[in-house]
Amino acid sequence: MTLPSWWLIGWRNLGRNPRRTFITALGLAAGYFAVIFMIGFADGLKVEMIENGTGLMTGQIQIHSPRYRPDRSLYETIGSRAGADFEAVIRTALQDPAVVAAAPRVYGAGLLSSGQSTRGGMLMGIDLDREPGVSRLGNSLSQGRAPTPAANELLIGTEMARRLELQVGDEVILVAPAADGSMGNDIFRVCGLYRTGMAELDGAFALVPIRSLQRLLALDPGRIHEIAVSTTDPWLAPEAGRRLAAELAPLGVELEVLDWTGLRPEMLEYALLMGSWYSIVVIIVFAIALFGVANTMLMSTFERRREFSVMLALGARPHQILLTVISEATALGWISLVLGVAVTFPLIAWWHQYPIDLSWIYGDLTMLGALIRPVLRIEYNFPMSVWTGLALLLTAVTAGLYPAARAAWMPPADTLSGL
Amino acid sequence: MGNPALRTEAVWKVFHQEAEEVRAVRGVTLTIQPGEFVVLAGPSGSGKTTLLNLIGGLTRPTDGRVWVDGLELTRMGSRELARMRLEKLGFIFQSYNLLPVLSALENAEFPLLLRGMEREQRERRVRELFQRTGLAGLEHRRPGKLSGGQQQRVAVIRAVVGEPALVLADEPTANLDSAASDILLTVMEELNRDLGTTFIFATHDSRLMERSRRLIHLVDGQIVSDQWQESRREQ
Repeated sequence: MTLPSWWLIGWRNLGRNPRRTFITALGLAAGYFAVIFMIGFADGLKVEMIENGTGLMTGQIQIHSPRYRPDRSLYETIGSRAGADFEAVIRTALQDPAVVAAAPRVYGAGLLSSGQSTRGGMLMGIDLDREPGVSRLGNSLSQGRAPTPAANELLIGTEMARRLELQVGDEVILVAPAADGSMGNDIFRVCGLYRTGMAELDGAFALVPIRSLQRLLALDPGRIHEIAVSTTDPWLAPEAGRRLAAELAPLGVELEVLDWTGLRPEMLEYALLMGSWYSIVVIIVFAIALFGVANTMLMSTFERRREFSVMLALGARPHQILLTVISEATALGWISLVLGVAVTFPLIAWWHQYPIDLSWIYGDLTMLGALIRPVLRIEYNFPMSVWTGLALLLTAVTAGLYPAARAAWMPPADTLSGL
Repeated sequence: MGNPALRTEAVWKVFHQEAEEVRAVRGVTLTIQPGEFVVLAGPSGSGKTTLLNLIGGLTRPTDGRVWVDGLELTRMGSRELARMRLEKLGFIFQSYNLLPVLSALENAEFPLLLRGMEREQRERRVRELFQRTGLAGLEHRRPGKLSGGQQQRVAVIRAVVGEPALVLADEPTANLDSAASDILLTVMEELNRDLGTTFIFATHDSRLMERSRRLIHLVDGQIVSDQWQESRREQ
């Protein structure tokens, strides 16, 4: 025997009843498959929520004056009332390797009037060239076209258009408190309608070229409320945010840098809750598998009780019998793991590549204030794949403990009598 | 003079089956010297197998004492008993009881493996015994691919390979035809003669009784006769 003998005996024992071994391994592999898929779906949902929750409007990182939030006062622009060289801030931010894009924004609250209808709304001043890099709000055009920079044109959501009975090309009067204490008002033309699928956005926001809104709100061109930043991966945002805070400090402007985990803590809490749920899934699935495998191992060792008795009669010690059965259980675990990985990962890779689109059944879904596409999406979760693999091996070994103990401490004479 | 291979002193074994008390072995006192070729004969239920189990340390006597190669089994704990079985005893069973997942060679070297002997040394010793018993060339066959006689010869090699003080064989020829039995008995006689291995058989096979040099009859758990005889082969 070349391999350690107990391992060899255990391994070869699995080959004595290949069908039983295969079915038992298939049970464990199915457990692995189920866990990885459930976690993959949950991760898909989580990623979808975070990507859309941050990508639609918020951005993964926001930079403001430290006094801007939570009141969002019109006056609390970056660099305070004097303003600041926000382009320098943007340039510095873009130097970070995790940062993809950055765009300035101005906000104001006002009234939109058309004919007999007037509604309150949020006015959001965007840089038409740079905003698409940080949000998809302006890309959700359902009718018309994007505004012309610095022109008195705006985009409104389809829901607001419905309420104000507006169509593309219609005029709308904006009235908003301005930073100089006056009431800014002007006529704008609706150049397009956007539709995100979120009624709160589609019914509340009007997107205006940043310079036009600054004029309406009596803000100098150097005064903005926010710089929205997008990163290569939402999960890199917290680290990138910490780096940015340090990198921007030398500019001498008072700034608050917040990543999405601070801006949308409910999404982070959901992600953390999912992490705990994963452990529960692993425990439930493998606890069920444990009894099945233990039953099979018990049956298998019972059938071989004579062999164990012979080994004991020849001078084997109980712990050596124990090792034989545990080795068998471990080998079974490895077979199951290989089977599980071989079946699970190609399927996950395919599903990840081609998520199943259920939009023909479901419309737009929202979750924690984030729009979610109605797709069954699966994400890879390598740390959980490794942990689940370890849980599978642990299950197999644990399932072998009781049968192993029974085999190791059986009285040999009782079984051998009459042999 | 050295220790006897086996000594028993007033050994009793009583089983309790529900309300009934079964006295399987009743006060057996016996001494067997190294190199003997002994048969324990008797009808079914005479206590042959139970006596072998007591000698082999597989079960403990209700009363009395057992020594193997000078070591008293009745005082040993389970760990010491396992060690004693490994170093002093060899077993041959009626149904061969080879481990089906191991090859003939691996089965035969199993006791040496338990002793932690190096692979090369193990294989050298086992291959020599395969040659001697006519099994050369079958080393890598699994038990399922061997005839009953071949399997039992592998079991004999497994029993003697560790050069034990005593080999206990319980009905070793019961599942073999005459030709295979004859080959097996010849092999064991040769090993007894050439290596000085002590054999104790429990059997009611008349051919084996005829070829033994000491024939002990058991009836109802007691020795009723203990005869020295010249085996037919020697005649």
